[in-house]
Amino acid sequence: MSTKEILTLQFGHYSNFVGTHWWNLQDLSFQYNSSIPSEINHDVLYREGRTNKGEVTFTPRLLLVDLKGSLGSLSEECDLYEPKIDPSKAQINWHNNQVQVQQVGPSHSKNQFQQDLNDPNKCVLEQSYDFEKTTKVWSDFLYSRFHPRTIETIKEYQYCNENTPFDAFPLGSALWKTSQFIDDFSDKIRSYIEECDHFQGFHFLTDCTNAFSGLSSSCLEFIRDEYDRKSVLVLPVIPSYFSDNLISNDNEKSQSLINDSVRVINLALGFNQFNTNSSLFVPLSVGCKGWRQPGPKRVFKNLEYDNKMAYHSSAILAAALDTFTLKHRLKSSAFTLSDLGADLTRSGRKAVAASINMPFPMKENSDLLECLDNYQEPLYHSITPNCDIGSRRLMQHITIRGIKEGQLKKPLDKAQKQRELPAYRANSIQEMMALYLAYTTDATANNVTVVQEALNVKSPFPQIFAKNIGKNGFISDHNRLSETRIDSIPLLAGLHSGSEIGEMLESLHTEARKIKINRFHQFAGGDIDRDDYEECLDNIFTLRENYEDSYLI
Amino acid sequence: MAISLLNPKAEVARAAQALAVNITAAKGISDVMKSNLGPKGTMKMLVSGAGDIKITKDGNVLLHEMQIQHPTASLIARASTAQDDMTGDGTTSTVLVIGELLKQADIYIAEGLHPRILTEGFDKARVKALEVLEKIKIPVEINKEILTDVCKTSLRTKLHQNLADLLTDVCVDAVLAIRQPDKPVDLHMIELMEMQHKTETDTQLVKGLVLDHGSRHPDMPKSLKNCYILTCNVSMEYEKSEVNSGFFYKTAEEREKLVSAEREFIEQRVKKVVELKKSLCNGTDKTFVVINQKGIDPMSLDMLAKEGIIALRRAKRRNMERLALACGGIAMNSFDDLQESHLGRAGHVYEHVLGENKYTFVEDCKVPQSVTILMKGPNKHTLLQIKDAVRDGLRAINNTIEDKAVIPGGGAFEVTANKELLAYKDEIKGKARLGVAAYAEALLVIPKTLAVNSGFDAQDTIVKLQEEARLNPEPIGLDLTSGEPINPKDSGIYDNYVVKKQIMNSCSIIASNLLLVDEIMRAGMSSLKG
Ligand SMILES: Nc1ncnc2c1ncn2[C@@H]1O[C@H](COP(=O)(O)OP(=O)(O)O)[C@@H](O)[C@H]1O
Ligand SMILES: [Mg+2]
Repeated sequence: MSTKEILTLQFGHYSNFVGTHWWNLQDLSFQYNSSIPSEINHDVLYREGRTNKGEVTFTPRLLLVDLKGSLGSLSEECDLYEPKIDPSKAQINWHNNQVQVQQVGPSHSKNQFQQDLNDPNKCVLEQSYDFEKTTKVWSDFLYSRFHPRTIETIKEYQYCNENTPFDAFPLGSALWKTSQFIDDFSDKIRSYIEECDHFQGFHFLTDCTNAFSGLSSSCLEFIRDEYDRKSVLVLPVIPSYFSDNLISNDNEKSQSLINDSVRVINLALGFNQFNTNSSLFVPLSVGCKGWRQPGPKRVFKNLEYDNKMAYHSSAILAAALDTFTLKHRLKSSAFTLSDLGADLTRSGRKAVAASINMPFPMKENSDLLECLDNYQEPLYHSITPNCDIGSRRLMQHITIRGIKEGQLKKPLDKAQKQRELPAYRANSIQEMMALYLAYTTDATANNVTVVQEALNVKSPFPQIFAKNIGKNGFISDHNRLSETRIDSIPLLAGLHSGSEIGEMLESLHTEARKIKINRFHQFAGGDIDRDDYEECLDNIFTLRENYEDSYLI
Repeated sequence: MAISLLNPKAEVARAAQALAVNITAAKGISDVMKSNLGPKGTMKMLVSGAGDIKITKDGNVLLHEMQIQHPTASLIARASTAQDDMTGDGTTSTVLVIGELLKQADIYIAEGLHPRILTEGFDKARVKALEVLEKIKIPVEINKEILTDVCKTSLRTKLHQNLADLLTDVCVDAVLAIRQPDKPVDLHMIELMEMQHKTETDTQLVKGLVLDHGSRHPDMPKSLKNCYILTCNVSMEYEKSEVNSGFFYKTAEEREKLVSAEREFIEQRVKKVVELKKSLCNGTDKTFVVINQKGIDPMSLDMLAKEGIIALRRAKRRNMERLALACGGIAMNSFDDLQESHLGRAGHVYEHVLGENKYTFVEDCKVPQSVTILMKGPNKHTLLQIKDAVRDGLRAINNTIEDKAVIPGGGAFEVTANKELLAYKDEIKGKARLGVAAYAEALLVIPKTLAVNSGFDAQDTIVKLQEEARLNPEPIGLDLTSGEPINPKDSGIYDNYVVKKQIMNSCSIIASNLLLVDEIMRAGMSSLKG
């Protein structure tokens, strides 16, 4: 089967947090000298290259955008292809070598983790680093190495600069139009695609509460135009915490209210564009509500995480992403992004919800049948804001990974009572899960994908697991020792289409409708007038109506 | 616009303080930029937080790279980079003149003069300065010599002389190659291609097109002579339209059927190209090259390779236009009625491989009206420096062609304008004349800084220049080697007319806005109350 390549684009700082975890955990799962070949076709998301010295590289087929000053100690060109030039040794041809050295912005030295990465005598995977404390920007926990083409920084706006915030949709669309940006960026896209023999489409991870919403919308429109028949899976991500929501006085309160409104407008404008130009879009957040504020965090029984920490919340989203995209990245299957779109977006239902069950709660030395037989809770928990996924009238793809066929059920001689269960007849995890879903859902089309490989959660993935999770990710009867690091976990993730998504859209529509766009100069001044906004809201409402018919199946 | 320069947190600051803050910020940013001005300014090496280096002398690049926090400073920075967007030059001068206008204003305001009156003076002075500019502009016939002088003046302020002169030739030749009588020049028809390789002095003009990709089939020829060029935007890749659903089952046969129907369709397309190639080339020494904006999949590549055709996929959109201009022929959107007349011609097409990068040269074109500047350098920062310089050089040439005129450089305009403004000042009644005087004085920052950067005393130089200007009716500028007055024309030192004009306009407006912060704030307050 020939590889059908995908190009991943990441727009904005939170997207890059999610992306960083995602690439990390993929890189960590590579088995360079294993006798068992991976089930996953890594060529779909990665590219093979060659440095000028002839060394072979394997790097993400990735383009990411962030603001000036947001890279920390990461070099813009990345230093994989060329060693960094020592400023004191750079040769400069100028009159009597009059050169003034000037430091731009604060100097960032590499943290311990990054230093150890460059040290061939150290193995970072077994170490604990205090990422919770040391992480300021995503590059602080970046394990993957990037191709020099990967990073695009926005020169016009500076990271964390209150005077020139990149906070409103039109700023992003305007930036896209500058020839400096579009020429460079579209050319990088083209260079990646030119390399591909069977290019199938794009993964678009994008911030959608700030101006990156506008930037990615414009880029998406461009892609529709230039690569008309390729699929685009858009993954709008919403942080689960905004520091301005923490208020201590009236002034801050009113500013925070304004910011919340601005974020809702960006979301609405972005969703409208994603709906028009994507193949499907899956909003993701570990905040229950997403807007106007992220709301309380989603609670997962076996995870202990801090939703105020982007390093934590983005790890959960990355784990989900890695899992629910497996179906179109497997060596054994011809399933593609366009198939995914066709399956989940019937009747124009382009917005899709995602879910996770992390880690999949199976006991050590137990089996799937026993686990499911005693199962009490819902099988999956939504990570799409304002959307609780039920069990009726859905079209859904479920992917379960990290449970070996040998863990299906008890062998005949030890099965005892299990043999009496009808599900004992199931001969594969696939069959067993399908059976379980058929019992527990109503008028629902289920599709199950099974992958043996567990999710690799070695450092730098955060240790956010409950104390009774063991080294291999299964539930144990006793708490693990405090120095034990968890290597991998079994995981279930899903993509769902159903009426609940209509409710999500309705809630966004309601919030967005309350806002008087004219009061926000960032938008009115940037070519979005009341009519445009009304039209956008109407479109969202129309999209919402697509979810009403209940005779889909 | 002006209101946006207010830091919301500064609303409480009193207006006078806001003014003082603006003046300080403007001084701060011009102090950083001062040492860059002119061919003897200092080169800067910018080191990023992560240790990346960038080498530049160009004000515009500096402003883009610097992390400017202060809102006033970033307003000035934006005005200056806008200057560069419009004309491609004059960024440093803009920052310096704004800074100096505010500095001069500060003196008068400290003595009690109202900013409003000063800005009235500024505006009168601006109009007068533009008149002076009209008077001293030198109308020119467009020829290689004048374009070379202008471009060289500009590039020598950015790069070492040897390199500047080499790039000047490259830029001038490029523009002259694509220029068509009585039509504006479209600089997009000059492709800028980087190759990290060799040294900067290997940068050259290619009278044809260089593409940053090559064929993707091992059996395709690496070099062909006497080529037909088919430029097209037609997909030659199979894209499945059948759905491979996770919910609904399709038999392998059903699937196979759909696939082969689609595949057949693409094959027919490729065959059309192959047929044309056969009829035109077989039995002759002619060869065939396909350059496609859309994709070409391995099966199609295979069919083309079997015929000895070089095929490139995913060419830049803009290269469709460039290829037609470089080689002739028409960019095709379909193969339905494909004929020889649609094709372009090139004497030589060949591939060059550098690490994982491939380049394809389309050369020996008859009358190429699109050309490529192939920029070389040993590392990224050198390439970037060259790219910035080439862009600016091309703009300088194009400005000259559009202006049909040039301005004598080396401070000649500023010295002349200073002289005429001082005379003009006496014609003005009331205190607005102080604004004119301030403006006249501020312009001198350019020759002064040029002098200081070349190691001469600012005051001595100004005195010399002003004396010479009084005696000599010709515009007088500064010779940076001797520190003596010269007629810049004699040394071929020219600036662009449009650049100077733009500097005059934007500086006055920005400086005035920054001075009137006081009134703007009051207006803001009262409208809040009302
Ligand atoms: N050879 C020269 N002798 C004297 N002055 C020169 C010479 N070349 C350039 N200049 C002057 O230098 C100034 C431009 O300097 P430059 O560093 O390019 O700054 P800017 O960003 O303002 O264009 C102009 O005033 C120009 O007349
Ligand atoms: Mg200049």
